[in-house]
Amino acid sequence: MGVLEVKGVNKHFGAVVALESAELEVKRGEVHVLIGSNGSGKSTLCKIIAGSVIPDAGEIRIEGTVTAINRPQDATQAGIGVFYQELSLVPQLSVAENLLLAALPRKGPGLVDRAAIRRRAEALVEPFAEVTGDGFALEALVQDLRSDQRQILEVLKVLATEARIIIFDEPTSSLDKRQVTVFFDLVRELRDSGRAIIFISHRMDEIFEIGDRVTVLRDGRSVECLRLAETDQDTLVQHMVGSLIAPVSAGQHQARDDYDDTLLSVENLCAHRLDGVSFELRRGEILGFGGLHGQGQSLALRILFGAEPATAGEIQLTGSSRRPSKPADAIRKGLAYLSGDRNRDGVLLTRPILENLVAADLTKHKRFFLYPQRLIRKISPVVDRLKMRFSGFSAPISSLSGGNQQKAVIGRWLTIQPDILLMDDPTKGIDLHSKTDLYQIMRELAAEGVSIILYSSEDAELLGIADRILVFNGGRIVQQLEGTQLTAFNLYQAAYGVTA
Amino acid sequence: MAGESSKESIVRASSQFDPGALLRRPMVIPCLLIVILMILGETASPGFASPGQIIKLLTLAALMGIVAAGQNLVILGGREGIDLSVGAIISFGAVIAGNIMQGANSMVAPAILGAAGAGLGIGILNGIGVTILRIPPLVMTLGMMGVVQGALVAMTRGIPSGNAAPVLADFITQPVLAGIPGILFVWIGVGFFMAWLLSRTAFGYRIYAIGTNQRAARLTGVSVWRMRIGLFGLSGFFAGLTSVFVLGYTGNSFIGVGDQYMLPSIIAVVLGGTPLSGGQGSYTGTMAGAFLLVILQSILITLQMEEFGRQIVFGVTLLVLMLFYGRQHRLRV
Amino acid sequence: MNRDTGISTVSAFLRWVDLARRPYLPAIAVTLLLFMLNGFLQPKTLRPVSIVADISTYLPMILLAVGQTYVVLASDIDLSVGSIISLVNVVTVSVMAALGGSLGAIIAGIFVGIAVGIVCGAFNGFCVAVLRFQPIVSTFASGIVFAGIALWILPAAGLAAPDAYWETYGENVAGIPFVLWILAAMGIAVAVIAQLVFARSLLAVGGNIQSAYQSGLPVARLRVRAYILCGLFSALSALCLTGDTASGDPLLGAKMTLGSVAAVVLGGTALSGGRGNPLGSIFGAVILGLIGSVVFFAGVPFEYQNLVQGLIVLAALAGGVTVARR
Repeated sequence: MGVLEVKGVNKHFGAVVALESAELEVKRGEVHVLIGSNGSGKSTLCKIIAGSVIPDAGEIRIEGTVTAINRPQDATQAGIGVFYQELSLVPQLSVAENLLLAALPRKGPGLVDRAAIRRRAEALVEPFAEVTGDGFALEALVQDLRSDQRQILEVLKVLATEARIIIFDEPTSSLDKRQVTVFFDLVRELRDSGRAIIFISHRMDEIFEIGDRVTVLRDGRSVECLRLAETDQDTLVQHMVGSLIAPVSAGQHQARDDYDDTLLSVENLCAHRLDGVSFELRRGEILGFGGLHGQGQSLALRILFGAEPATAGEIQLTGSSRRPSKPADAIRKGLAYLSGDRNRDGVLLTRPILENLVAADLTKHKRFFLYPQRLIRKISPVVDRLKMRFSGFSAPISSLSGGNQQKAVIGRWLTIQPDILLMDDPTKGIDLHSKTDLYQIMRELAAEGVSIILYSSEDAELLGIADRILVFNGGRIVQQLEGTQLTAFNLYQAAYGVTA
Repeated sequence: MAGESSKESIVRASSQFDPGALLRRPMVIPCLLIVILMILGETASPGFASPGQIIKLLTLAALMGIVAAGQNLVILGGREGIDLSVGAIISFGAVIAGNIMQGANSMVAPAILGAAGAGLGIGILNGIGVTILRIPPLVMTLGMMGVVQGALVAMTRGIPSGNAAPVLADFITQPVLAGIPGILFVWIGVGFFMAWLLSRTAFGYRIYAIGTNQRAARLTGVSVWRMRIGLFGLSGFFAGLTSVFVLGYTGNSFIGVGDQYMLPSIIAVVLGGTPLSGGQGSYTGTMAGAFLLVILQSILITLQMEEFGRQIVFGVTLLVLMLFYGRQHRLRV
Repeated sequence: MNRDTGISTVSAFLRWVDLARRPYLPAIAVTLLLFMLNGFLQPKTLRPVSIVADISTYLPMILLAVGQTYVVLASDIDLSVGSIISLVNVVTVSVMAALGGSLGAIIAGIFVGIAVGIVCGAFNGFCVAVLRFQPIVSTFASGIVFAGIALWILPAAGLAAPDAYWETYGENVAGIPFVLWILAAMGIAVAVIAQLVFARSLLAVGGNIQSAYQSGLPVARLRVRAYILCGLFSALSALCLTGDTASGDPLLGAKMTLGSVAAVVLGGTALSGGRGNPLGSIFGAVILGLIGSVVFFAGVPFEYQNLVQGLIVLAALAGGVTVARR
């Protein structure tokens, strides 16, 4: 019997089903890996265990007893600790203070008990003294620590809550190989001391190095639970892929080999988390960026659009060899950028649909005086093409459904008739019907000579529509797939860094 | 479906002002309050709501309303935009205008240019501090207020100087057409200008964009910092313009004549439906808000409420408004 | 002494000068500089009598700045402090006058004044932390209300404070000027507060409010306490001002709000919260006072003094904000 058992968990966000009858069983003293492609539900499942998301159905048992976890405090009391990627440290306080922040020891009428802080902090840190490295004094301020030291401090912070079940969500993302080794020693210490560890990672070799058992999630379901010693990388990938049914809407892609000219040429693009990306884009091509989330795809797109700075590299657009310095620059050079996070980057929520639709057009044509009738005449064809359903141009865009809002944002970019359309995970959280419409438009645009770079976290979608896919891993392009290579298996292998 | 609605929308949008917008909720409240207060005032002191009185009230409201136009723009731009230096700019501008004019009708135009230009310059400095030095607007404009007041003292040595030209004073206080003083026509003109700016120019669209979602606006190519400098510049400009009219109203300037305009300009904007967080609202609402404030002030005087009472009421009004307009998010886990 | 000892001494010194831990160091340096400049321009200011007189003048702003610091550390702000001063001043003098000006009346007046400051602070804290109003506009508005109440209680300046009150303020107690006793008491209070868990928790709230909340800190309560502390120090500031001016004046504190914010920034505390120290604000307030003094003794014409001071304050704000942002 496991120390943690999760059964029958369902969760949906709006129209999207995140988890369906998901299951997990973790034993004491084991490192249990949770694996699955983007959108398979790993993070959601962990958030449910940690108490920051409430499931629609399902039960959680701790040591056999059904436990209700409705808030993070409940999880903490049940002995569950979570290590988040978003660091939850206070930079201006010291290591010791951050460790004990939840309950700083005090003496007398609320005075800081320095001695007690020191003692307890030392007790926590001592077992991991080799791991921490120099500069990790108890009095050191967090803002002076290196990022890997901060990660270790995060782990120690979790330990300070005396957690018996610890969830690690992609903990090695900012560590280099040497630091990972040292970090794994720490994890093994924890395991050997009897704790149960849930470990989410996307790095295959690390999974096999540290894990004892693995549960594979696919489309929100727990597909398989295996001992890592009894399986191999290819088998795991197979389980993740399953029998991939490409959505009807994505349809067939036709491989072309008759592209006219190269529209865009990128050479050795470097930035903080981008490590020398080079590629070319031809007219009328749909180029896909694949790989797991956060490997540099979005960043590359934003740099191309001038929305983020690059430290090195050249971008050559037909007619210009200077990198777009800002979005206005990119827009006038014929680029368009569609973000998947429409609430943060796209939609002007309280403004009328008209204002949302013409926003980019104002920049491209340097307009000052506006004549709404003319503007409406200009955007009406776009609106019809996108099959948008709305009551009127002066209605606030918040009155539209999510799918239609995203269509409006797409419409904003179609209005300026771009040469290159950069799409940054555009169909996230959109209903199937709208997605189908969008795929259709993408194909039409490509046929008209518009080039598209599409990053999608949904692999089936990418495979269905892209002519060519560049797979990102760790800030660089590790694989190019085209023609008959465009299979889910190849995509996953490259994304997970499986050496062929 | 979409095709039909396009045509409908074409018809609707081709009218100059969307009647639906005027009936939107933000306007209803101040108008209702105006009516109620008018009735109250007339009951407490008959003659309160007579045409002559109303014109007087509107004149005062015009002075407040014009400076509130600039404040409105700054607040619309979002990011805690606010301009606390407008009062000091009015005092400053009044002295400059008075000294240029020296009672001479021929010098009215240069006086206006001088005062408004000074206001514009100060506003631009505010904008630079906010965008390039990234000083929070409240702190920046508060500091600028101190500087402008200091400059005022330096210029005048504490002695009020300068005189309004007769034609200016007449313009403000005497009827020009149909018994309505010239200043009201100016205010209506400002109203039309603001409506045009906010709904018929790209600049106006962009103001709402940066006030609603600065990130998204930037991704559509808006130069956010340039816009903000422009907004603060306009706020200073309107304050400078108002200073000339204030001078015409009072005849000659006294130090600190503008201080009483600062807080009401903010309240008028908020009462008119522009939340302190920006991104939505219109100037017509602010105009109603200004009128409402003037009536409120007048009633408090009629009820023989003294300075302290008026202050307390103003402060409490702002606090109560914050219940509806200015609350921040709950902390989530 | 060989090279290694020299290097290790230097690096030890550099570590001590760590601005993150001791953000008040630039403020102390600037204070010393200004003090010397002031002394150079007018050597009479170096006499002990002058120094005590200066401290007596700066003390209200010092107290105000310290109070403001606690609120700013939690990444809030209090723009009503000037009005709290006016209100406390008016209430205190009125109570003392109403009760006849005896020693008992004075003590009662002081207690009531402090209570008023605490209530004002609690009100501010309630609006900002519980009702979740935006701090800037909320405290601005409550400041208007406090100032209005002050006007109501005492419509015109001029009500005299009891002789015993302001005489004691200006005299020596046990051979040492009274104001120095106050300064010392304040220093002790600040030091004690710094040792409280409360102070560290405030830094957490200002540094990363989300983390503080997730770690289980009672964030709202901490913010309210910071405002109460600010109200308390504002009241103490008012009491000192009353000792100086010897009367009630409903417009007394009006100009001091901006000064308190400037002093805080000058002292190395970041307006964004989570970084800083009340000790720095003490020096920041002194710097403000010395600037005025230097401007005066440098022979800046009377009419330009306000302007120059205003410009320096604005420049200091710009500098402080830029430096505090790392």
